[in-house]
Amino acid sequence: MNYTGIIGNNARNSTNRTLLQYIQKHFGGSDQITLCEIADVPVFNKPESHVAPPAVAKIAAAIEQADGVIIATPEYDHTVPAVLSNTLEWLAYTTEALKDKPVFIVGASYGALGTSRAQGHLRIMLNGPDLGARVLPGQEYLLGHSLQAFDEDGMMVVAEDIQSLEDHMKYFAEFVKSNQGK
Amino acid sequence: MKIIGVIGTNSANSATRKLLEYMQQHFKQQAEIELLEITDYPLFNESDDQSESALLTGDAKKIEAADGVIISTSEHNRMIPSSLKSFLEWMSFKLHPFNNKPVMVVGSSVTKQGSASAQLALRQTLDAPGLGAIVLPGNEFLLSSSAAAFDENGALKDQGTIDFLGTCFKNFLQFVKVADVLNGVDEMNFEPGTYSVMASGHNGKVPMKVTFSENRIENIEIDTEGETTGIADTVWERMPQQIIDGQTLNVDAVSGASDTSRGVLTGVAEAVSLAGADPDVLKKRPKPAKNVADEPVEYEADVVVVGGGGTGLSAAATSLQAGKKTILVEKFPAVGGNTIRTGGPMNAADPEWQNTFDALPGEAATLKSLMETPDEKIDPEYLEDFHALQGQLKEYLDSDKHFLFDSKLLHEIQTYLGGKRQDLSGNDIHGDYNLVKTLVDNALDSVKWLQNIGVRFDPNEVTMPVGAKWRRGHKPLENQGYEYISNLQRYVKEEGGQIITDTRVKKLLQQDGKLVGLEAENFDGQKVIVHASSVILASGGFAANTKMVQQYNTYWTKVDDDIATSNSPAMTGDGIKLGTDVGADLVGMGFSQMMPVSDPVTGELFSGLQVPPANFVMVNNKGDRFVDEYESRDVLSQAAIDNGGLFYLIADDNIKATAYNTSQEKIDEQVAAGTLFRDDTLEGLAAQIKVDPAELVQTIKNYNSYVDAGKDPEFGKDVFDLKVEKAPFYATPRKPALHHTMGGLKIDKQAHVLNEAGEKITGLYAAGEVAGGLHAGNRLGGNSLADIFTFGRIAAQTAVTEHEELATDATTSASHSE
Ligand SMILES: Cc1cc2nc3c(=O)[nH]c(=O)nc-3n(C[C@H](O)[C@H](O)[C@H](O)COP(=O)(O)OP(=O)(O)OC[C@H]3O[C@@H](n4cnc5c(N)ncnc54)[C@H](O)[C@@H]3O)c2cc1C
Ligand SMILES: Cc1cc2nc3c(=O)[nH]c(=O)nc-3n(C[C@H](O)[C@H](O)[C@H](O)COP(=O)(O)O)c2cc1C
Repeated sequence: MNYTGIIGNNARNSTNRTLLQYIQKHFGGSDQITLCEIADVPVFNKPESHVAPPAVAKIAAAIEQADGVIIATPEYDHTVPAVLSNTLEWLAYTTEALKDKPVFIVGASYGALGTSRAQGHLRIMLNGPDLGARVLPGQEYLLGHSLQAFDEDGMMVVAEDIQSLEDHMKYFAEFVKSNQGK
Repeated sequence: MKIIGVIGTNSANSATRKLLEYMQQHFKQQAEIELLEITDYPLFNESDDQSESALLTGDAKKIEAADGVIISTSEHNRMIPSSLKSFLEWMSFKLHPFNNKPVMVVGSSVTKQGSASAQLALRQTLDAPGLGAIVLPGNEFLLSSSAAAFDENGALKDQGTIDFLGTCFKNFLQFVKVADVLNGVDEMNFEPGTYSVMASGHNGKVPMKVTFSENRIENIEIDTEGETTGIADTVWERMPQQIIDGQTLNVDAVSGASDTSRGVLTGVAEAVSLAGADPDVLKKRPKPAKNVADEPVEYEADVVVVGGGGTGLSAAATSLQAGKKTILVEKFPAVGGNTIRTGGPMNAADPEWQNTFDALPGEAATLKSLMETPDEKIDPEYLEDFHALQGQLKEYLDSDKHFLFDSKLLHEIQTYLGGKRQDLSGNDIHGDYNLVKTLVDNALDSVKWLQNIGVRFDPNEVTMPVGAKWRRGHKPLENQGYEYISNLQRYVKEEGGQIITDTRVKKLLQQDGKLVGLEAENFDGQKVIVHASSVILASGGFAANTKMVQQYNTYWTKVDDDIATSNSPAMTGDGIKLGTDVGADLVGMGFSQMMPVSDPVTGELFSGLQVPPANFVMVNNKGDRFVDEYESRDVLSQAAIDNGGLFYLIADDNIKATAYNTSQEKIDEQVAAGTLFRDDTLEGLAAQIKVDPAELVQTIKNYNSYVDAGKDPEFGKDVFDLKVEKAPFYATPRKPALHHTMGGLKIDKQAHVLNEAGEKITGLYAAGEVAGGLHAGNRLGGNSLADIFTFGRIAAQTAVTEHEELATDATTSASHSE
């Protein structure tokens, strides 16, 4: 499969970036995964023009060419961080690149809950009429205690986390395939 | 009742804004609603903290002071707009003004939805621990189909909607009162008594005694014997006072002494635990109230100086010597700036004195090669002086004399050649002839002037500061940089000068093209105005402002976001902004100096094992050498950058003994803390610093063979001392840190600040690191101190002379008009 991963954080040290980089490495044998950063996306302020600025156009192009999209979200104040919603606002307002695109949501947080509230909100956003993505239903990949989850080389240390990630990626691949027929 | 209304969108034409504007008008009998815009907020970024910016602290203060907050939100993709989210993230990161604040949520959307989903999410967000607001339950005010909801005067059209909004608002005001009661209940219960704990000071642990009554912290006693004097003194006085006055641990650190400040807070928190109470409750309490008077404090002076480093203090002293009323404004709690951090040697050619010392091997060769520099390498304005120097050098070298040579001309040409650089786009820069000439002609006078003030120099040693190129350093007898600052500060006070600390200058005041004073803000947030017809900027450089260095940089291929600095945190380039705001021109801003061998985290020079360059063995993250360790600072820094930044100084037990900065106790401490690595074998050391053991062993084997041969075929190092052979072995992690900024305000040789047309800005002078043009592409070690005491004095002399002219002008024009 050909996936695009969106790193939903602009912080220099983000365990969500580590998570996506790990996914890129771990599934590199079978899937080609391109990662997108969102730190360069300008502040969205509902401009007159509905044309995507270059940083957004680049992400939109990466999304468009992919079979599916994996979004990694941190949780800031019980919801999706501003940088990620900022990027989604641009996509909804300009290219609508996520329309009908299969999306798998993952998230890493320092605490135990593993971004469950942020993921819930992200799902509502992606399912809304303006973005209109097809979010993998019935599955959530929550990585809690993310600071302890990786070793220095960015490898996941807990076997169950890896197993669960592999299962989720399998479901997602099936979901992508079932959507491709439509 | 005072309410803040946050307009939760950054788009200009929005019903969300209209709704709050309407509420502000409609409810003005019941409450004063001040609107707060979030349009200027940058997107939140955890790695780029802006919590100390004026925008954020200003808004946080307003929110803290308000009785309640109304947030109005629109809806984007079923959530609150990212701009509002970003604002809330900033407010949840370091500042927390929403903690326990009553909040009312309203919202609108152009669809039928009316922001229902966004409001729900907003309530969840306000609940998060970083925000901790108390949100008015129920009373969901949703304005749907908002495009048609307002009339042309911005009033809501539908009476039912207006009535419902009125009910919600009334309930909110009631809720604010209830919340007040809720907030009052976190009373503390201590086990009364006195508890002994340790605070961590700069030189180790400091004993502290905290006394509690049943409900209050009554007394904090800190035993500071064994601590050095300096900025920490402010911590010992101020922190306990604030903790007791406010009965809170939510106290700001003292600028420039944040570690020590944290040490006090941690110590008191520990005592609170020992007394059986929860320190977290005290940490969440509001900051101690500052009694900010609305009225500014005003002062009158002839000359006002901005910044209390070496430049500012010598300018103030000079102005006082001319009998002028002088005020110095310093933003930190104590004077000193970077000047107090220096090792102390100051360059000044003093041949009479220097000739009493013997020449060292190699010095004649240095002079000879300088003498043989071809004319094409010298810029035209320096040629005449260069030829004269050639004459002096020839005479000295032919004479077979064995004393240390020096002259003003040698100092001049070395300063000029040392500062000649090319930036990344091929632009050349070299020092302004008039400035360089003024420096070398007056530096010795500055030494003598300092001696008269009380500074004691060591007559028995002529030193060569690192990166100075020649032995002409006059070194304070004791106390290094502190010797200058302590004497100048004492002198300024004795002569009746006024030093206002803890007060940051924010704006220069200009009238009819002339400077008339400045505006500042003191520690309590109160405005301070100084009226004066002469303003001297002496606020130092910007090497502690990475963003600014990155913005202007034209010299380094890369300046890391997390690069450390050797500077005081005060060096943020305030003076550059103050100057350009009144039209000043800038020069050489792209050139900064890095100190290659700095601590990767703190930027300190004096951690790890600092040995003479002959004993430097530098290896990169692969375990390979990468440069001639004897190279100049900028070559070493660029080489390190090209090798990923972080590198290690490898040493063995013998090289360790040549370290001039440390003791066995400090070494053991650093090894234990993991900031210095030690191992009995090179292989083990390699494993600790995560480089390939075989590679490191080979690198060292090669290096040792070069020491034997006295020659390094790889990188051309030619000055060696010891081999790396005797266990235990050491690796000191190092990384270039920002050290000095050569660029700054454009000045002439009398220290007038010039505008872009090259004209003087009347009444404005600048000197020291805030000014540019002198050191150009690279500053020689020891030339800064010469610079600041020379141009600091010149700035004041010019100001004093012109102040008299200005005063005479004023009286003559007054008498004309009579
Ligand atoms: C670790 C270290 C070692 C050094 N060693 C040497 C050496 O051996 N020899 C040498 O020649 N040079 C050395 N230098 C360079 C030299 O110290 C500086 O270039 C020089 O001290 C600058 O002096 P200054 O008076 O211009 O600025 P500073 O001494 O830095 O003083 C500026 C003052 O202005 C204050 N200020 C800033 N903004 C404001 C504002 N808005 N309002 C009010 N006050 C403000 C600051 O708080 C500070 O007190 C060294 C530098 C460092 C960092
Ligand atoms: C402003 C801010 C708010 C935060 N809020 C939350 C939160 O509500 N829930 C949570 O689990 N972690 C929160 N965190 C902590 C972590 O940043 C968060 O767990 C994040 O998902 C970790 O992902 P990252 O490694 O990509 O930064 C917050 C951090 C910041 C800076």
